[in-house]
Amino acid sequence: MRALWLVLGALAATTAVVVGVAAALVMGGGDDNENGPSATKTPEAQTTGTPSGATSDETLRLLGNDPISMDPACASDVESATYVVEIFGGLVTIDRDLNTVPDIAEAIPEPVQNADGTVSYAFQIRKGVLFHNQSRQVAAEDVKYSLERALNPDTQSPIAETYLGDIVGAKEFASTGEGGVSGIQLDQADPYKLTVTIDAPKPYFLAKLTYPTAFVVDRNQTEGTSCFTNTNWQRRANGTGPFKLKEWDLGQKIVLEANSRYHLGAPLLASIEYNLAGGSAVTMYENDEIDVTGVGLNDIERVRDPSEPLNAEFQTAPRMDIWYIGFNVEKTPFDDVKVRQAFAHAIDKDKLIGVVLKDAVIEADGILPPGMPGYNENLQGLEFDPVLAKQLLSESEYGDDLPAVEIASSGRGASVGPVSEAILGMWKENLGVDVAIRQTESATFFQDLRDGDFQMFEVGWVADYVDPENFLKVKLYGDSKDNESNYRSAEVDSLLEQADVEQDTAQRLALYQQAEQIIVNDVPWIPLFHDEYSVLIKPYVKDYVLPPFVIPRMRYVHIEK
Amino acid sequence: MPGILPYIVRRLLWAPFVLLAVTLATFALGRFGPGDPIEVLQGQYNNPEVVERIREERGLDDPFFNQYGRYMWDALHGELGTSSTYLGVAVEDIIFEKMWVTVQYNLLALIIIFAVGLPAGIWAALRQGSWQDPFTISFLLLFRSLPVLVTIPILQYIFAIKLGWLPSSGWVERDILGLKLGIFDKRIIMPLLVLSLPGIAAVARLMRAQTLEVLDQDFVRTARAKGLKEFVVVSRHVARNALLPMTTIVGFALVGLLGGSLFVETLFGIPGIGRFVWEAVGNRDYDVLMAVTLITAAAFIVANLVTDIAYGFIDPRVRLGGRGGG
Repeated sequence: MRALWLVLGALAATTAVVVGVAAALVMGGGDDNENGPSATKTPEAQTTGTPSGATSDETLRLLGNDPISMDPACASDVESATYVVEIFGGLVTIDRDLNTVPDIAEAIPEPVQNADGTVSYAFQIRKGVLFHNQSRQVAAEDVKYSLERALNPDTQSPIAETYLGDIVGAKEFASTGEGGVSGIQLDQADPYKLTVTIDAPKPYFLAKLTYPTAFVVDRNQTEGTSCFTNTNWQRRANGTGPFKLKEWDLGQKIVLEANSRYHLGAPLLASIEYNLAGGSAVTMYENDEIDVTGVGLNDIERVRDPSEPLNAEFQTAPRMDIWYIGFNVEKTPFDDVKVRQAFAHAIDKDKLIGVVLKDAVIEADGILPPGMPGYNENLQGLEFDPVLAKQLLSESEYGDDLPAVEIASSGRGASVGPVSEAILGMWKENLGVDVAIRQTESATFFQDLRDGDFQMFEVGWVADYVDPENFLKVKLYGDSKDNESNYRSAEVDSLLEQADVEQDTAQRLALYQQAEQIIVNDVPWIPLFHDEYSVLIKPYVKDYVLPPFVIPRMRYVHIEK
Repeated sequence: MPGILPYIVRRLLWAPFVLLAVTLATFALGRFGPGDPIEVLQGQYNNPEVVERIREERGLDDPFFNQYGRYMWDALHGELGTSSTYLGVAVEDIIFEKMWVTVQYNLLALIIIFAVGLPAGIWAALRQGSWQDPFTISFLLLFRSLPVLVTIPILQYIFAIKLGWLPSSGWVERDILGLKLGIFDKRIIMPLLVLSLPGIAAVARLMRAQTLEVLDQDFVRTARAKGLKEFVVVSRHVARNALLPMTTIVGFALVGLLGGSLFVETLFGIPGIGRFVWEAVGNRDYDVLMAVTLITAAAFIVANLVTDIAYGFIDPRVRLGGRGGG
């Protein structure tokens, strides 16, 4: 989910593990807190677990961080989502193969085109879905309540509109709070039927509903609460997900307990204990205090060494994200495409990734990460070519008389990370340009980024859902609020608009690929790399799914000692 | 000791002004600095209208002095605001618990530091000129010079991974006489070593210097000339006088306990205030930072006062409040 997630994740890693070299990891480090892999997909685990409970008595021990919010309507960072997706659930969810599948809904409804151009989804709610405290069954009314609560201005969610704004009447309700959301309709005759209407055909809408913002909460707990006030209920959060929140001791630990009646199959673990107080992750792992740990750049060479015993427990898996250098194409000198191209051609990505990042990431030529539908293996990236770079720079309207250039980055280590340092060095060497660096901590960084204060910035973006729209349209469409580059190409915009409503999948992905190639050539971004998980997992931990972004995954995990 | 009461009253009258200045400065830094809790929650999403609306509803757009006044009014009523690290949780519900953790292990470390450091300093001073003095001091200096970022991983490697005697980190609380105590668990051993070794070095060095100075004084020579036993000379005349300046250090060291250590707490997984404050800074958690500042400033005022008064009792030559005394 979201790019902030990525930055926060990296920061969290540094908090827990390598405070001293914090800054070094902010860009493209290992997330040392991350819980590991098992990209191996054993089919039987999909079907194991029945409401009768295949639950064992095993506990999985992990290192974690406190969530900023356990309220699904408010959670926007990786840490929060990690817990929220296990405790709560919505109409639909994402399975381990990243398909959108029914959760509280009985089935995935077919979209129905209405005469006025809107599209309706008729959800049938699964019967017998209980809240964790077993107070009652979830009905359509609960879903409607939860969606409207997220959008209600009293809830003060800064992100609800982003995820639910496609629903007819959602934006109006989010600013006035009056009435309800007209696009969410109950059925008088059937308390288990709910119709959701969106403003236009959007193939990615259901995927957006898998995001926590759309999850079902207990009205008895959440009435009168907001993201910022009366949040104590979150420590006894009552959801419908595969795990119950048994204990949340702020800054100390979170204990999740299996929901043996979970409607998609009971978890195989009895419980999960997240240690929130920190510690030296790899040391704790080696000393058998935790079962899974992320591996940072400091330890990666050691665990990769085949003669090292830990090597057998080491796994990697891709993450659906991208790290890039963004240009503000409205600011000098990056308003000239030749300058942008020159800066791109001057970066030796092979060296950057091989030497600085120790091959712990995947080189990025384009925008879309591997695994994302529409990922284009034949995409033509901008190759490292110092001669061409110099030539482009002198051909640009600034010639050899380039104004001062500054790159902004997020971090709090007061020292420049190795990635930035290497790139700055390459620009100096290959272009003869001295680039200054401005570093601020993440909240300030993102505010300035949104305000368009930067000439150039290094940042990441993580998938929120599995659709190329989430990268190309959200980040690089002319009118998108999240288009920090201020990039605008009539050709790209038109392709993205067509792709939005194209119903034929192959055709749609082809449109995205066309748009992506144009973007790469126009260089609003220099794509750098896609992250990978680098994780150690104890041999007795099975089916530890390493998804490319946050999904509910703990119910697949089992321990066989 | 005449004048002690007016002195205390005068000092206490000043306290509110000190606190006002400190809180005003901290509040201003937070409010005028960039970013706020909504930015943190919003992350990389960009919806300026929504953010503006929330800011307005939460009063973050009110004039500075309105916000400051509101905060102080609530603070005087024991409401220290709400955290944005744990969104919406009352600050007073978190920080005292975290401070208690930090105070526990730091207090224990402080006791060890003085219990070992003071005798070590005296011992070294008495052996000035022999090999034992420079040896002791340089041995201690070694620990003083090693940063915790080096010592912690080394200790963890030795005690946890190689020997397997101790868990590498953690904080396990036990209920003892109704108090939640974490210092009666073996996990505390490594943090204590890391904290006390450099402290012992510092105290011993200072104590050595003080002792040497006192040893040169006439009254020591007199005491020896009187034929007093060396033990009596050292314990009654030397040590007592050399200890005086150490009182100041104890006072401030006690307040320093509230601060905690980011590195120690992070690498050893101790849920104390040091790590929490560090996170609070990153999360733009104004209210937590304000509360910690307020409490620490108040503690400093009290510690300062107590030290001064204690000084007066320990050393009759020190006169409080008088002009040109002493």
